[in-house]
Amino acid sequence: MDIQNYTVEDFICDNSFQHYCLGDDAEAVQYWTNWIRNNPHKQELIQEARRVISILNAKQGNLQEQVGQLKDGIDRFDMLKQALQQDTPAPVRSVRSRFKYVAAIAASILVLVVAGYFLLRPGKTTQQPEQVVTTTTSHKHPVLSSGNEPRKTVVLPDGTVVTLRSNSSITLADNFNTSNRELNLTGEAFFDVTHDKQRPFIVHTNAINIEVLGTVFNVRAYPSNPHTETALFRGKVAVTVKDHPGKPVILTPNMKLVFTHTGGASTTTTANPVRIEPMTVDPSDHKAKEIAWVRNRLKIEDEPLSAIAAKLQTWYGIEISFADEKVKTYRYSGTFESETIIKALEALQLSYPFNFQVEKEKIIISQ
Amino acid sequence: MNEEEQLIRYWEQLRRGDKQALFELYNHTYFHLVRFGLKVTANDELVKDCVTQLFFQLWEKHARLNAVTQVRAYLFTSLRRMLLDKLDRDSKTDAAINRLSAKEEHEELPYEEIIIRVQHDEELRQKLYKAMEQLTPKQKELIRLMFFEGLNYEQVAAQTSQSIKTAYNTIYNAIQVLRKILK
Repeated sequence: MDIQNYTVEDFICDNSFQHYCLGDDAEAVQYWTNWIRNNPHKQELIQEARRVISILNAKQGNLQEQVGQLKDGIDRFDMLKQALQQDTPAPVRSVRSRFKYVAAIAASILVLVVAGYFLLRPGKTTQQPEQVVTTTTSHKHPVLSSGNEPRKTVVLPDGTVVTLRSNSSITLADNFNTSNRELNLTGEAFFDVTHDKQRPFIVHTNAINIEVLGTVFNVRAYPSNPHTETALFRGKVAVTVKDHPGKPVILTPNMKLVFTHTGGASTTTTANPVRIEPMTVDPSDHKAKEIAWVRNRLKIEDEPLSAIAAKLQTWYGIEISFADEKVKTYRYSGTFESETIIKALEALQLSYPFNFQVEKEKIIISQ
Repeated sequence: MNEEEQLIRYWEQLRRGDKQALFELYNHTYFHLVRFGLKVTANDELVKDCVTQLFFQLWEKHARLNAVTQVRAYLFTSLRRMLLDKLDRDSKTDAAINRLSAKEEHEELPYEEIIIRVQHDEELRQKLYKAMEQLTPKQKELIRLMFFEGLNYEQVAAQTSQSIKTAYNTIYNAIQVLRKILK
């Protein structure tokens, strides 16, 4: 019988349509999703058929939606657990790791750094802003900058993923990834650092140096802001204040270090320039406000990977391309929340596997 | 490999920390668990929540899980315990309702009672009650097997010793009767 002539009863009595309603048969879901999309005038019949089926199965629910909720909960739990685990090695995720590079990133470090203070330093004020712009091509140090984009994601040669907030930039030191892993930051960035005990990862801002000992962190270091903030999510970082040499401060997860530049000769001020405080938690969702700018909540309802990739590309500011056509048509549903594009793609891989490869300013997805 | 062996394999992978295996286990047992739960208490929200929570707990303690020989039985038992605990806690505030829904330890709620009780709208409950009264016992049985237990026409026909065509016609006619009243 032609589905075009289906009555409500016909839909209700169709086994394949029933499975579409339950969401437990990928083929049926795909078929009916397409059919419904191509036949919008049948909307009312479909709604009524769904209603009756739901009554008769006592609201057993839709498997795809339910499993999405479970994934959501488990991802949140894992993230929290990682944040609470101090310096323990990141859990080895899905033993048969699909990609060497990705595996390296999984055992990584995340730090948010905001570099302030730069312009406030006497003598350096004049040269700074222009320098960032001009050095991009002429200077031998490679500069990566976000410009006006809300976020820009780059993958450094060592596999570290850095998401820059708007008007922020990083300058890699000479021989980055060969003899050292040091860089300068102006602005705000979220780091997911590849673990490498042999070569410590060091972020320089004008006021402080942050040496990564195995972590996830965010740094705020805006030239126009006297405060420099380092917020830590997992692992451990050592922070040294340039003008106050001495013992580095070791930061533990969910804490942030705020350094306030007191303005030249004010060494007599009673206020301590270095404060360590807990990260600010948003009471509505129990998540740190410090990284709200980079955290992406992605709600997907049966969309092809090509459309999802376009959304991710816009959010994280990194180009995503496909190595083949078939993988573009993989369909996904669910809610994903992640701080880095790598984590977002890994979450998708859990539903239905694919591969991806990361390059400097590009991610390539294949089957 | 039969279904139970497959589940045991997922269970073993889960114990080793394979998240995908947890989701596979969920996909393969979700509806069985929900149906089982609804027979304990006709509160679909509570049942669905508990199923999700059960798997969340499995993930939380996956490293401490023991080997089991009957995965499905283990899950059923855990779900029942979880539901009865929750109902017990609530019963302090609403003992009468729960005596109706939880019933005795091994008593299952009948199908008609479940589908009526999960509805919150009183008018719809009345209509549904009336609609089910119009069906013959045979029609009710087939509707239950297909829509609640999730069997297809072939399985329904085999279980009720009749042809697929007869099974289809019986269900189709029953749906027509129901629809007239449920409109």
